[in-house]
Amino acid sequence: MSQIELHDVTKRFDNGAEALRSISVAFEEGSMTFLTGHSGAGKSTFLKLLLRLDVPTRGQILVNGVNIVQLPESRVPAYRQNMGAVFQDHHLLAQRTVYDNVAVPLRVMGMTERDVARRVRAALSRVGLLEKERLLPRHLSTGEQQRIGIARAVVNRPRVLLADEPTGNLDPELSRDIMRLFEQFQEVGTTVIIASHQRELIAAMGKPIIELSHGAMSRPAGEDDAETTR
Amino acid sequence: MPRRRDKATDPWGALAPIGQRVLMAGIGRWLRDHRRVARDSLIHVSQRIGTSLLVWLLIGIALALPAGLYLLQTNLALISDRWESRPGISVYLRVGADAELGSSLRDEFTKDAQVERITLITADAALIEFRKFSGVNDALVQLDRNPLPALLRIVLKDDTDPAQMDLIASRLRARAGVDEVSIEKTWLERVQAMTGVVRRLGWVLAVTFALGAVLVTATSVRLAIESQLEELRVMKLVGATNGYIRRPFLYFGLFYGLGGGVAGAMLISATIAFLEAPLSTLLGSYGQDIQPAGLNFGFFVGLLGLGGGLGVSGALLAAKQRLSDLEVI
Repeated sequence: MSQIELHDVTKRFDNGAEALRSISVAFEEGSMTFLTGHSGAGKSTFLKLLLRLDVPTRGQILVNGVNIVQLPESRVPAYRQNMGAVFQDHHLLAQRTVYDNVAVPLRVMGMTERDVARRVRAALSRVGLLEKERLLPRHLSTGEQQRIGIARAVVNRPRVLLADEPTGNLDPELSRDIMRLFEQFQEVGTTVIIASHQRELIAAMGKPIIELSHGAMSRPAGEDDAETTR
Repeated sequence: MPRRRDKATDPWGALAPIGQRVLMAGIGRWLRDHRRVARDSLIHVSQRIGTSLLVWLLIGIALALPAGLYLLQTNLALISDRWESRPGISVYLRVGADAELGSSLRDEFTKDAQVERITLITADAALIEFRKFSGVNDALVQLDRNPLPALLRIVLKDDTDPAQMDLIASRLRARAGVDEVSIEKTWLERVQAMTGVVRRLGWVLAVTFALGAVLVTATSVRLAIESQLEELRVMKLVGATNGYIRRPFLYFGLFYGLGGGVAGAMLISATIAFLEAPLSTLLGSYGQDIQPAGLNFGFFVGLLGLGGGLGVSGALLAAKQRLSDLEVI
C-alpha cells in the first residue's frame, strides 16, 4: 500500500468546469514528485484535495489506507497537522516576526513555549535564517520569505510536504537552492509533492514528474524518468 | 486501555490512546492555550484602547439603563413593602377637637372585626414630628395654637374588601369631630402599579439593550476578525480547529463585556450619588426610615457577569457568522 493513492479522482466546479479528470496515481512514503502542466491544468486543485481544503466530485484519496474524502470535519485539523504546505506567495503574516510566523503550527498543536522555541530555531537553522528570527517578513528578500514559508511548513515535522509553485517568484539560482532544500526534507523521509510549471528546473532535479493537461494526466510519474516515485 | 484511534478516520495514527497521562497532558495543553490566548487578547484589547473605551462605554450604557431601572424598581418595592402593605384608613380629627375623641374612636373601632390595629397620633405628637422633618421650628413657635390635627391610622385586615372599607370610612365620617377620612389604599396601589410599570419597562429595556450590547460586541469582534483573516486562514491551513480559531475572539467579547459591566457600574454609581440627596428627602417626606437600595457587591458582580455573558454571546455570533465559511487559501 502506498502512502497516498488517488483513485479515479475527478473535480468538477459548480460552473461545470472540470479541474481534474479521472486521476489515478500513487505516492510512496519518502518520495519526491513534481506536478507540472500549463496554467489551469489542475495542479493547485490537486494539492488542495490532498490538503483536504476541498473534496473531489468523484473518486477516492487514500492516505495510509484512509479515504480522506470521507474524513469527518472534526478530524480534518488533526489530518492537516501532519501536512506541510508551501505557496508561491508565502502567506506569511505581515505583522508577526519571522519567529512567530514559523511558530504558528506548533502553537496550534498546543506545544509549550519551550518546545516551540526549540523547534522554531531548528527549522530556521535548517533554512539558514536563524539570525533573522526577530525581523518582520517585509524586511526579508523574496527568497528569504519563501524559506520562512518552508520553515513554517516543516516545523511540525510533517509526513507530507506539498508546495504550490514555490519558486514562481525566484530567479534560477534561488529556485535551485529552494529545490535542494526540498530534497533535503525528502532525504529524511518526508514525502514531497511540488507543483511547478518550470519544466527546466524540475527536469534538472531528476525526480518523477506527473504532467497534467486540462485536468487529466498526460504523463504519469516515472513514465519517461529514470526515477520512480519511490 | 480504550483507544480513541479510529483507523477509518485517523490516517496518521495521530490520535493518542486515552489514558490518564494523555488526558492530563491534554487538559494541561488546553489550559496553557487558554492562558496564552487570554493574555494575547487582553494585550490586543489594551493596545486598541480608543476603540475599547468606546465599546466599553456603549455596552456600559446598554447595561446601565435597564440596571438603573431595576434599582428604581427595587427601591419602589422597598417603599411599598415598608409602607403598610395592608389596606388602611387615615382619620384626621378637626383642629382643636377634644383630646379624648381620638382615644374614644380608637377604642371603639378597635373592636371592629375588620380592624387589625389603630395607631393614634395626637396633635402634639404630630407637631413634634413636623418640627423634626420640616425644619421650620421658628415659624411654628410664632403660632399661638397647634395647627395640626390629631390622626388615627387604622390598619385593616388583609381580607377586608373595598365595600367593608367604605362602610368603615362612612361610619367614621359620620362622627362629630372627624374632619377628613382618607382611604390610603390608593397611594399604595399607585406605588405598586408604578413598580409594576417600571418592572415591565425594565424588562423591555433589558432585552432591547442586551440585544444592543450583543450587536456592539459582535460588530467589534467582527472587525477584529476581518483584520486577522490572513492569520486565521494560515491557522486553518496548518490544522487549527474551529474552537481554537474562535477562542481569541471569545476572549475579546469577554473583555469587552466585562469592561462594559464596569462602565455600567460606574454610570449607575454616579447616578445614585447624584440622586442620593433628593431621594433621601423624598423618602423622608413620607416619614419613612428607608435607606435607598444602591449598588452593592452582589449587584456589581451580577452586572459584570451579565456584561461578560453578553460580550461572549456577541463574539460567538460574529465568529459563527464569519468563520463558518472561511476560505483557507
